[in-house]
Amino acid sequence: MSMLEINDIHTYYGNIHALNGISLKVEKGEIVTLIGANGAGKTTTLRTIAGLLKPRQGQVLLEGEDITKLKAHEVVYKGVAMVPEGRGIFARLTVTENLDLGAYSRTDRQNFAQDLERVFTIFPRLKERQKQVAGTLSGGEQQMLAMGRSLMARPRILLMDEPSMGLAPILVESIFDTIVAINKEGTTILLVEQNALMALSIAARGYVLQTGEIVLLDSAANLKQNEMVRKSYLGIE
Amino acid sequence: MNKQINNGFRTGLIFGIINIFLILIGFPMVAGTIIKDAIHNDSTVLLGLNADILDMLIFMGLIGLWAGASGGRRLKGEVDTWLDALASSASSGFTNGLLVGGLAYLLGALNDAGVRISVYLAAILPATIKQLLLGKNTLDGALLEFGFLFVTGLLGGALGFALRGQWRKALGDWWKKIWSGFVNSAWVRKIRSHPLFMPAVYALGLVILYIIPQEAGKYWNYTLGTVGIYVLLGLGLNVVVGFAGLLDLGYVAFFAIGAYTVALLTAPNPHHLMWSFWVALPIGIVLAAAAGILLGIPVLRMRGDYLAIVTLGFGEIIRILATSDLLTPFSGGPKGVSAIGGPTLFGKPFSSDKDFVYLIMIGILLTIFVTTQLRSSRVGRAWEAMREDETVARAMGINTLTHKLMAFAIGAAFAGLGGVLFASRNQFTGPEDHNLMVSINVLSVVIVGGMGSIPGVIAGAFALKGLPEVLREVQDYRVLFFGALLVIMMIWRPEGLWPSSRRSMELGKADDNAKKNSGAPGGKP
Ligand SMILES: Nc1ncnc2c1ncn2[C@@H]1O[C@H](COP(=O)(O)OP(=O)(O)OP(=O)(O)O)[C@@H](O)[C@H]1O
Ligand SMILES: [Mg+2]
Repeated sequence: MSMLEINDIHTYYGNIHALNGISLKVEKGEIVTLIGANGAGKTTTLRTIAGLLKPRQGQVLLEGEDITKLKAHEVVYKGVAMVPEGRGIFARLTVTENLDLGAYSRTDRQNFAQDLERVFTIFPRLKERQKQVAGTLSGGEQQMLAMGRSLMARPRILLMDEPSMGLAPILVESIFDTIVAINKEGTTILLVEQNALMALSIAARGYVLQTGEIVLLDSAANLKQNEMVRKSYLGIE
Repeated sequence: MNKQINNGFRTGLIFGIINIFLILIGFPMVAGTIIKDAIHNDSTVLLGLNADILDMLIFMGLIGLWAGASGGRRLKGEVDTWLDALASSASSGFTNGLLVGGLAYLLGALNDAGVRISVYLAAILPATIKQLLLGKNTLDGALLEFGFLFVTGLLGGALGFALRGQWRKALGDWWKKIWSGFVNSAWVRKIRSHPLFMPAVYALGLVILYIIPQEAGKYWNYTLGTVGIYVLLGLGLNVVVGFAGLLDLGYVAFFAIGAYTVALLTAPNPHHLMWSFWVALPIGIVLAAAAGILLGIPVLRMRGDYLAIVTLGFGEIIRILATSDLLTPFSGGPKGVSAIGGPTLFGKPFSSDKDFVYLIMIGILLTIFVTTQLRSSRVGRAWEAMREDETVARAMGINTLTHKLMAFAIGAAFAGLGGVLFASRNQFTGPEDHNLMVSINVLSVVIVGGMGSIPGVIAGAFALKGLPEVLREVQDYRVLFFGALLVIMMIWRPEGLWPSSRRSMELGKADDNAKKNSGAPGGKP
């Protein structure tokens, strides 16, 4: 059974038909990437899965369980965590408080310290800056915080919305290394990226989204070779 | 030198404008009355001066000194010599004097021409103008006023300069030495580390709280009670606005529900139920909280501005309903409800103004206890997240709707408590007790005090409700007073009188941190 499966999703913003029948699957333990131009509907897809938007039609299944009708906070309790677009850290709270809120959905508070240690092992920078107000972290540190915070929920599947946005190339690489490491520890990942080259190099499979529709799905290796993908998303003629 | 003069000019301008504003609302005359009360010289003639004029001189003198002193102080590193200080304070005093003297001349001339200014500005009576002109005729008086402010400005500058630098440092060092010597001395440490130290401090605090109403007279107990109720209301609204970040402009609705509950249940008219206060009290609180939830369910899905407007409407609805023909037989209508029952204790009435101060204090302590517990709980963390970013909070697994409802209901419950105490103490309640101004006043208390800060709310209530109560005569200008105070606060202390540590961190230290970490972008991109 797939970790995540969405079937024929239609999501609207008022009258705007943002997702026009999207279906995709993420298997347990996989990294799957969703690429597409600005405004294609990538963020909308993630927000629909997370329950922040309600689709008018279609289903979201988490390991076979229908979570389409659940409210956003209930979806979190089912094991879906999100690294939101633009990081969405709590800018006026400290690093520790942010991480603490990441674990809000956890009922096993006794494991909190252990999880915190895990996050600090992955992101030693955050450990140094525990007491700092999150809004004053550098862009890269904020991204680490957003990722660390999502890990505090110990999700079954992690939805990441453009984690590399606005970061220097060297940082992008280390963020992607971290994503791979997190995945190796057993978290399934659905990764939305503008940086298609990087995303395809760590993902097993990829979907290409165009104005609310999936136009292509294939293994990452094949997508990298695909003419259309190379032209539109990799910038290679 | 130019810089000092410029700077002094700007300071003088600010002081002059504030001074003119104060004069137009009649503040100096009220301050004069207080000065008079303080030194008990109703009709004594001192230095050949009539008491009214002496009061005016004292008031203006203080303002002048202050203007001069801050004229010299604003440029921290730049006022190095006596000349700098005097240039700056002279320019400040000159500007201040010119503005106020000009106003005095204008008012005097208008008055001489037979214009009755008090028709437009109620505080400006002919006698007031005479007082402002220091008992002289228009031109002389205005010149004298100008000269006086100029000279006191210079004096203030000199004084400020003398007291800064070495003197001030010496004084500070001396005090620090004494203080640290005291704190670090063996016996003080021993006492402080004793397990009974904190309980003893609390006990002492309670004893002081017990003594104050005993010593205060009827008038002061009444005033204290009013301020106390605003503390209570402020603490409640602080949960909604400060903790949960929901702008509720209809807070008075819940206050009204508390007040009307105790009124209708305990008064002989219009229902002749005559229940005990102690029964009505919890009912009032529960009804207010229930109304909070009832209102919350439809409106809390809205965000920001919409929420503010809808709650504003709800606040007015309760009052309008109470006065409507339809409900008059039920609610007492525009005339309100009188002879509201008071509490009893061991069969004896416990409802004097003094007794109510105790009840209100208990209410406040309870509120403080509940709100501090809440803030550090899981609920408090959820509120904090929600206030920062609602969508992300939801993505963290926080049920924002129930948490908003909770904040609303808790805030409403405290408002209900405030309403019950208020109506019962006054033995009367009517629609006019529950107008929009109550909501605005309470919100001002929270904002001026420092959003999210409990001591801040207490300070805010004393500043906004206590001061005008003391300065009874400016009551009519309270709205103006509020407005001016809010504007001044927003400029000088945007974080409030006594900010929560979080807020001051955001507004002050956060910037420093950002700088320290060189080039780190502050806040969200
Ligand atoms: N709140 C909203 N209200 C109305 N339209 C919206 C809203 N959010 C997104 N849209 C529209 O829906 C479409 C899909 O937006 P979405 O944010 O999902 O794009 P995206 O693929 O994430 O783009 P980007 O790469 O720029 O983040 C766009 O046309 C956008 O304008
Ligand atoms: Mg997007």
